[in-house]
Amino acid sequence: MHGKARIRLVRRLAVPAAATVLAVAAAACTGSSSSGAIGSGTAVNGHARHGGTITIGWENATPNFIFPLAPATNSDGYNVNLTDQMWPYLVYSGDGAKSIVNPRESLYTSISYSDGDRKVTIDLKHWNWSDGVPITSRDFTFVYNLLKANVPNWFLYVPGLFPSDVASVSTPSQHTVVLNLTHSYNPTFYTEDVLSTIQLLPQHAWDKTSATGKVGNYDESTAGAKAVYKFLQQQGGQMSTFATSPLWKVVDGPWALSQFTASTGYYTYVPNKHYSGPDKPFLSKVINEPFTTDTAELDELRAGSSLDIGNLPFNDLKQSGVLKSEGYSLASMQVAGVAEIMPNLYNATVGPLLRQLYIRQALEDLIDRPQIVSKVYAGYADPGNGPVPMQASGPWASPLEKSGGPYPYSPSAATALLRAHGWKVSPGGTSTCQHPGTGASDCGAGITAGEPLSLQLAYSSGLTGMAEQNAAIQSSEDQAGVKLTLKSEPFNTLAGTMGNCTAASHPASTCGWQLVDYGYDPYTGLFPAGAGFFNTGGYNNLGGYSSPEMNQLINATEYGSSTQAFFSYEDYAARQLPWLWIPDSDYIFVYRSNLAGFAPLNPFSGSNNTQDWYYTS
Amino acid sequence: MTRYLAQRAGQAAVVVIGLMILTFIMIHLEPGSAARSTLGVRATPGRIAIFNSTYGLNQPLYRQFLTYIDQVLHGNLGTSYSLQIPVSTLIAQRLPRDLLLLGLSTVLALLIAVPLGIYQAVRRGGVSDHVLTGASFTLYSTPDFLFAILLIALFSVQLHLLPPEAPQASSVGGMLADPRALVLPVATLALVTVASYSRYMRSSAIDVLAQEYIRVARAKGLPQRLILLRHVLRNSLLPVVTLVGLSFSWIVAGAVIAEEVFNYPGMGLLFYQAATTHDFPVLLGSTLVVGVATVIGNLAADVAYGILDPRIRYGRT
Repeated sequence: MHGKARIRLVRRLAVPAAATVLAVAAAACTGSSSSGAIGSGTAVNGHARHGGTITIGWENATPNFIFPLAPATNSDGYNVNLTDQMWPYLVYSGDGAKSIVNPRESLYTSISYSDGDRKVTIDLKHWNWSDGVPITSRDFTFVYNLLKANVPNWFLYVPGLFPSDVASVSTPSQHTVVLNLTHSYNPTFYTEDVLSTIQLLPQHAWDKTSATGKVGNYDESTAGAKAVYKFLQQQGGQMSTFATSPLWKVVDGPWALSQFTASTGYYTYVPNKHYSGPDKPFLSKVINEPFTTDTAELDELRAGSSLDIGNLPFNDLKQSGVLKSEGYSLASMQVAGVAEIMPNLYNATVGPLLRQLYIRQALEDLIDRPQIVSKVYAGYADPGNGPVPMQASGPWASPLEKSGGPYPYSPSAATALLRAHGWKVSPGGTSTCQHPGTGASDCGAGITAGEPLSLQLAYSSGLTGMAEQNAAIQSSEDQAGVKLTLKSEPFNTLAGTMGNCTAASHPASTCGWQLVDYGYDPYTGLFPAGAGFFNTGGYNNLGGYSSPEMNQLINATEYGSSTQAFFSYEDYAARQLPWLWIPDSDYIFVYRSNLAGFAPLNPFSGSNNTQDWYYTS
Repeated sequence: MTRYLAQRAGQAAVVVIGLMILTFIMIHLEPGSAARSTLGVRATPGRIAIFNSTYGLNQPLYRQFLTYIDQVLHGNLGTSYSLQIPVSTLIAQRLPRDLLLLGLSTVLALLIAVPLGIYQAVRRGGVSDHVLTGASFTLYSTPDFLFAILLIALFSVQLHLLPPEAPQASSVGGMLADPRALVLPVATLALVTVASYSRYMRSSAIDVLAQEYIRVARAKGLPQRLILLRHVLRNSLLPVVTLVGLSFSWIVAGAVIAEEVFNYPGMGLLFYQAATTHDFPVLLGSTLVVGVATVIGNLAADVAYGILDPRIRYGRT
């Protein structure tokens, strides 16, 4: 299994690993019958049985930090998998395969917005920590105080958002928290994308500055909060004490850590006997076993070992028959993210080309997304019609996206567009600019006479599905004389050499890239906000796209609450192509056939809601 | 001998320091940013600044190097950027795993290859020599990952006789307590090595068998078994000793494929992953280990020469 979808900043690193699952075999390309054998999961008949152990295989997963507020320098996405079983989020995202808030599993009873959506009132459930102490609003202010004093050093911090957007916090009662925000927010956005990233932490046990020191209210001063944060961060990296430190014994989630082997990343949970939530764990133990590769994991499954859950790479879909004979079932999980090819609008060589909307439109016209979904991903992928996933986005896919997006596959439309803008189109060759200039029928600013329509597409190496997909795109772009050169590199090499490029940074050494396919970008929460992706200067706006209209439309989705406003942003982004849209493939999981509660899979919990799993008798 | 060893130790120190300097310069010449590589493409400028400040990457290169050398002299190899674990801890966790796996496979390979090479030399040109030569070439030219996959497919998936994973215990004792899990990875690594060692052993034994002292021994009526054990074996081993000495660095970090396939994270995988993530401290730490292993391996080979061939005496002019 893979890292979880809810990590705001670091999940990118998990993308290549995750994408490994999505690789596809040639057999799948021919429409393998195995594809039809996978569903989103079916109900398992039989009575729920209490007890039993489950072993989950994790690919290349070695959590290394247990304190839930990891430092800015720590990018290990698997830490979330380790911690959110013990310290769940205030707002729990996803209910089965439904992309909705799950109030049952959440820590609040109500969240209300007032004062023009500048004031948020959160009523907490009357739950207890594992040591019997009630969870209170003080635990929220503890988190807030720690983050406020240390915000640059929090790995999930997004500039401008929590806690920077909170003017003050008050706690009118033991179970009520009131946030006064610096400005009005769309309540849906704030609940689903901001409050869903906040975990409550036990102030009564963790508000201390040393292992032997007494618990106090140190967090209430800035200096104290810094000292507490420093102490907890130092303790949080001590892997040898993850399972033994008294600090980490105080949890409010369904599970408590019982073993952690620092050298291998192997760890186990046992039920938190004092869990106050609605779904008490059925299982008596959960074992998390790391694997170096998905192949090693698959070998373990095929050998009929003790492994109960693992992932299945696309190129091993043909193994589904063998796996079923070994007593496993298969389920797919949609991804709440957007897959894209990023264009660098400020590349010194091809920036002028990519800044032309009509060229981006032609490039998109030439991507045969339905064929990639069916042939490369055997049907297990979101079509990628725009910035919002069709399948895992709840109600946010607009009618335009549902109808196939603004740019359905059409080589003729691409050819016509290029010709209309002064290009000599050479199918199978390289098209060249014939009419330089800035007129309506000219190639556009900065494009010279005879300039070839030739681009380099870089992508992560080692991923069969991604390589096949980009080979297919290269082939289809060729139909209008768009010469795509493919270049694959290890993901981290790509990440290290490709920086944010804007008009101001041009021509920085890290702006040599032209087009890049990293994999996909997960949305932070249930609300597929465009902030950070397409707004000017957004942290993930690597290609330098900048449009006042886009900024205004994104602001309207974050600060207003109209569905129509969201669709306006979404359709504008879909048409403007700050990124080229491509299919976003699903994950395929293998699990014991007598394990109930595993499927259908929740895209937001990373299929990690183990408290709901049980064996049937 | 002591003087010789001291001289070699001094040379080794110079070699290792030179290697460290070269590695330090080369990895910093690599294009790209360690911060972006570690934190990902969505890293904000603020996070990148904290990262660079935390690890001293905002300092001039010469100062970074001096700081690193100072750390190393104080026993501190730094902290992995991506794993957030001290490099010395990582090496302490991973090195024994590789020493066990590759050490066992090397010993097993020697136990098979040495008699095999002598046997082939004695039967040179015969049917058995041709068959074994063909088998050796086949083994030598087959990638180890293919052996691994075939062995897993047969013994784990089809026959369910052996587990597809290497031992998962964290200690050497724990790993040795699971001998079934060691069979496939050790066999995979040994198969390729047997092919290589046996070829060297065969060639060397053929040379020795043609020496006059062997003819003299035969003329004196010494039984073939004693000739082989006392004269051929000992004198034929020199090239293999060189080979084993040179392969010390491989023993500590050379099993990337086997580590991947058999789910056995060791030094090889650590080194490979560090290379793709700009994880400078791990790269430097691994280089240090490999450098020291190479030096020790060669030194051990030199000492072994002296033991095997009394004519070789170090430190005498």
